[in-house]
Amino acid sequence: MPRLESFVRFLACLLALSGSTAFAQDMPLTQVLLPGEGWKLVGSGYRFTEGPAVDAKGNVFFTDIPNDRIHRIDTTTGKVTVFAEKTARTNGLMFGKDGLLYGCRNGDKQVVAYAADGSHTVVASDIPCNDLVVGSDMRLFVTDPGNNRVWTIDAKRRKRVVAEGISPNGVILWPGEGTLVVTERNKPHLWTYRVEPDGSLSHRERYYLPLRLLPGRDRPGSDGMAVDTSGRLYVTTSAGVQMFDPTGRMGGVIGKPHRGSLANVVFGGPKRNRMYVTAGDRVYQRKTKVQGVAYFLKSSSP
Amino acid sequence: MTITLTGQHTMTDRLTLLVLVLTLAAPTLAQDNYKLGPDSMVQEGVPQGTVSQHKWISKKVFPGTVRDYWIYVPKQYNGKTSAAVMVFQDGGGYVNTKRSFRVPTVFDNLIHKGQMPVTIGIFLNPGVIPPTKPGGRPRRNRSFEYDTLSGQYARFLLEEILPAVGKRYKLTDDPAMRAIGGISSGGICAWTVAWERPDRFQKVLSHVGSFTNIRGGHVYPALIRKTEPKPIRAFLQDGTNDLDNLHGSWPLSNRQMAAALKFSKYDHKFVMGTGGHNGRHGGAILPESLKWLWRGWNGKTADTSKTK
Repeated sequence: MPRLESFVRFLACLLALSGSTAFAQDMPLTQVLLPGEGWKLVGSGYRFTEGPAVDAKGNVFFTDIPNDRIHRIDTTTGKVTVFAEKTARTNGLMFGKDGLLYGCRNGDKQVVAYAADGSHTVVASDIPCNDLVVGSDMRLFVTDPGNNRVWTIDAKRRKRVVAEGISPNGVILWPGEGTLVVTERNKPHLWTYRVEPDGSLSHRERYYLPLRLLPGRDRPGSDGMAVDTSGRLYVTTSAGVQMFDPTGRMGGVIGKPHRGSLANVVFGGPKRNRMYVTAGDRVYQRKTKVQGVAYFLKSSSP
Repeated sequence: MTITLTGQHTMTDRLTLLVLVLTLAAPTLAQDNYKLGPDSMVQEGVPQGTVSQHKWISKKVFPGTVRDYWIYVPKQYNGKTSAAVMVFQDGGGYVNTKRSFRVPTVFDNLIHKGQMPVTIGIFLNPGVIPPTKPGGRPRRNRSFEYDTLSGQYARFLLEEILPAVGKRYKLTDDPAMRAIGGISSGGICAWTVAWERPDRFQKVLSHVGSFTNIRGGHVYPALIRKTEPKPIRAFLQDGTNDLDNLHGSWPLSNRQMAAALKFSKYDHKFVMGTGGHNGRHGGAILPESLKWLWRGWNGKTADTSKTK
């Protein structure tokens, strides 16, 4: 059938070229959600869950901040076990390509790395931190909402402030890691920064805007984020998980699994196509059509 | 629209796809069967203006963005009298003299006949923030610049672009002699510039304008009805086969805009064709649209001269 196929291809090209301007591709929620696949409860009875992180096998780890514990969700059995205790209110988590679980050990004002046995080593001190992202080059970006700044910690574990003047909360990198996105809970937009090769941040912009607000509210309550391989960005808010396309346009709001709070989101499972959310005293997940980005899978030297 | 073909299709799949593509393509092409008229063609004896290409790196309003832009200067511009100004979003498309709009050719013809003033055309592409980290993706700023409801794009024109072009050419500062146009998100952007700064821009040309909820732009009809009228003259074009997607329905939104402009007694014209989301209809009627938009320019119309 090569002739027919090339004719179809020709017509498809004709259609694609028919506009006089290159318009961005539309990304409705139907490209993300599977019909009949709703939220499923993973675990409950926690006090406040946060910091979901995926490892190379697709297992998901999360913290129960007031109880000072990190839990592990087994990707095959779905069983939840305790991974680490006495975690000093560890908040945001993410795996590095060294296999260690990096965390914001806020009670000790430290950024730490947890090993497989739950023990930890200190990566940086004197940073009261909320959330972090670990790039494929092992550079970290860490939010410090109390002091209105964003830190970076390089692979040699040298820290420095790279953004100030906003109250940062969640933090994530685009696929390709050239752009950093930062949330502010009270602002109806998300910030983008260009990541320079030396880790400094430039060209701040309210790129993701406007966020959906609940009726009568002026604060979206935006918190943790995740990105998928097509560049969509997902941010947890009071209204639900808001999805944005790579050009910063909101594509839809995924409903909350319960009436309580929604703090953070990550893609887990062996194919990283399951959206996990930490939601107050519980954790939920749902299967999707998309795949989350894991920076530790990318080779660090281009 | 993207149709991906893999090697795994069965015969039935291929035929289904073929039928689908044909049903999509055939009516689209028929509905968009608009022809360019003589004012869109180069005419013998009509002086031709010049087009120059430039690059702009924003340092102030959209910091870090890089974009191409073009300046059209009509042959009749003499460097002594201030020229009228018309800005186009997605300028690369509008300035191209082989595609739908061919603005330099249309300007040549209309200026020659006195149907519009001696006008400097400024054709701006949307900005991109290129990555500096190897492997990074560019931050495409088009939607942020065009779809956002704020005065930021107007500020970009007034604080960066017009002063830069004004260094080379003598430009008017009369808002009634400054026009702005665009297609799709560039269309709502043109409206937003005039809405935010009617003291600086008072003429708007919108082709298949995105008055939809890309970033909240669907509220304009409501705002127009409940805001003291602003001295804006607007020409809107759309087609019955324009987009209907997650952001909204383009034909319905444009009808809402036209109804609101009528309700609030704006000087406006709305032309609804049968085309889709492209510039064919807008291009075919561009000469007539510009004649309407610039009508009365010589001595100025009452409706556009009431604010200075």
